[in-house]
Amino acid sequence: MDLVLQLLFTGIGIGAVYALVALGFVLIFRATNVVNFAQGEFSMVAAYLMVVCAVDLELPYWLSFIIALAGMAVIGVIFNLGVYYPLRHRTYLPVIIATIGASILMANGVLALYGPQPQVLPGWFDTPGIQLGPVYLDSQYLLIIVVTIALVIFNYWFFEHTMIGKKLQATSQDKEMASLLGISVSTMIMVTFIYSAVLGGLAGLLVAPILFVSIQMGSTIALKAFAATIIGGFGDVTGAIIGGLALGIIETFGAAYISVPYKDGFAFLVLVLFLVFRPQGIFGERVAEKA
Amino acid sequence: MTLTRRGFTAGLAAGLTAPYIIGSARAQGGGTIKIGMCAPITGPAAEAGKYATGGAKLAVEAINKAGGILGKQIELIIEDDQTTNPGIVLAFSKLAANPEIVGFLGSIRSTQVHAMAPDVLKLGKPVMFGGTDPNLTKLGNPWLFRFRPNDSYSGRVIAEYGVKNLDKKKWAVLHSTDAFGTAGGKALTEALGPLGATVALDQGYANQSQDFTPVVLAIKQSGADILGSYFTFENDLGIFARQLRQLGVNIPWVGSPSIVNVTALKLAGPALYGTYGVADYAEDSSEASKAFGKAYRDAYKVAPDNQSSWPYDAINVLAMAIKNAGSTDPQKIREAIVAIKKYPGAEGEYNFDKNGDGLHGYNIVKNEKGNIVFDKHIEFDN
Repeated sequence: MDLVLQLLFTGIGIGAVYALVALGFVLIFRATNVVNFAQGEFSMVAAYLMVVCAVDLELPYWLSFIIALAGMAVIGVIFNLGVYYPLRHRTYLPVIIATIGASILMANGVLALYGPQPQVLPGWFDTPGIQLGPVYLDSQYLLIIVVTIALVIFNYWFFEHTMIGKKLQATSQDKEMASLLGISVSTMIMVTFIYSAVLGGLAGLLVAPILFVSIQMGSTIALKAFAATIIGGFGDVTGAIIGGLALGIIETFGAAYISVPYKDGFAFLVLVLFLVFRPQGIFGERVAEKA
Repeated sequence: MTLTRRGFTAGLAAGLTAPYIIGSARAQGGGTIKIGMCAPITGPAAEAGKYATGGAKLAVEAINKAGGILGKQIELIIEDDQTTNPGIVLAFSKLAANPEIVGFLGSIRSTQVHAMAPDVLKLGKPVMFGGTDPNLTKLGNPWLFRFRPNDSYSGRVIAEYGVKNLDKKKWAVLHSTDAFGTAGGKALTEALGPLGATVALDQGYANQSQDFTPVVLAIKQSGADILGSYFTFENDLGIFARQLRQLGVNIPWVGSPSIVNVTALKLAGPALYGTYGVADYAEDSSEASKAFGKAYRDAYKVAPDNQSSWPYDAINVLAMAIKNAGSTDPQKIREAIVAIKKYPGAEGEYNFDKNGDGLHGYNIVKNEKGNIVFDKHIEFDN
């Protein structure tokens, strides 16, 4: 039983990380109908910004956190203007390829600027964790879980109870109609990119003390987050969270009880099963219904 | 003086073509002896690539300063292997296309050396490498030369030290599932049997894992009283080491060389205090190791590790072989390398055997609060 609880905690912790990145995927997909393959790199860039501020410049941790997230907002704007906006009238394919290009550019840009050394980023807390009976709770994982729960609540409030949230929803559902109702579609898409970049960045900042800060940290998480998005249902915020958590738990338990080397295999096996038997994901609506 | 349009055009043409003319003149002149090097400039091992190219450049500079070989300067040509198998195949084919390159440096990663091995055989020129999978020098490929002790030695050294010096007989063996890790884990497991020790857990893991909780819990449940490990990437090692300590596992731990390299020490910090490692490069193990350590620190202001010491030795041995052969003919260089005995390198004393293995023993070092302290050298005759 102790073992199960320990695995459950870790599974939820790592799943919450996937969920945060998956959320960024979903928001951009809803607004633009394209998958942003640079979502993982947002996490990586934010983590490096944090290292520059908190470790190299020795600024206070909270201030570095704010600067890193503000930096991500700026990157969201640049990303929108540089990658999405020029191609917005084309089909989804050129945009997807552009996001892949942007992810390569970001990874190699950081490599050129900061060098290949993986960096250590201290956690938010001085205490590495707490022992609760038989279970060790890593403080950083606890923080990640709390932030994920908070974000679920925030997203619900933001999208359902604020005007800008409703405008964003309207834009994602039908751009022409939204435009006819006087909503500035390009502004809404800009807001989405900013929000997604900040979300991706937040995931990076939270996970960096656990996984270290390295050039490839983003792509490793993004691949799993992408699988989580499909499991949850592409385009569904709750689905992304549930998909992420499910994936984290499945791979942790699969590793413990079946095979450690095939840990990644479980995640992608579940992905394939979903693609075959329920391509719209857990919460996804059928394409016909959406139309 | 006024600049006419004709003068301007002529000047522009000369300016644009000059680098090519000079470049081709240099290529045709053959004033240098060219050595190709595949190194991870990008990808997960880009950090290690910096150390590797640093070590190689240091040797090239020292040789050139002393007058070069066969009256010529050495020129090092580096290609990025992207830390991937396709990457190194591409990098090697680019270098191999240059007929003036007389010898090559491959990778420290066994899986990459396996990937490039067929092309090495086709080209028929000597390639120095640092991968430690014992099978690499048993492929029947006469052009591969190893500059680190292979894992049949590291496995035996880990087993012997753990059983005889630390007096532990119930082992957990943890290894990456790539070529290096699998071969290392197998070598360690095989070495434990004859010493009367048992393997309580033989556990593989996939590279770039984000979480090792299931592995740590398996070690805990196995009841092992010592851990032997083969980690390929330092970030995996760092994450594992922290989780191992967090979940309260404090059994003695003897690891493959990555456990004592600079990056791992930085990432894992106190989680690795008190661990032991087999190290092909230990600064205090010999005079040659000390000399290399000093030269590397003077040049780059950081401590060297095996990532930089093997390319340093490889360049020196290759240069020595070319000098001894008196020629850049591949077959003659090969014979000269195999003939090298008792050469004091940074990694240890080189005695090449017919398979191309240069080193036959390892150092055991201990992590004492972040400082790597040389303990003993264990050498094998077979």
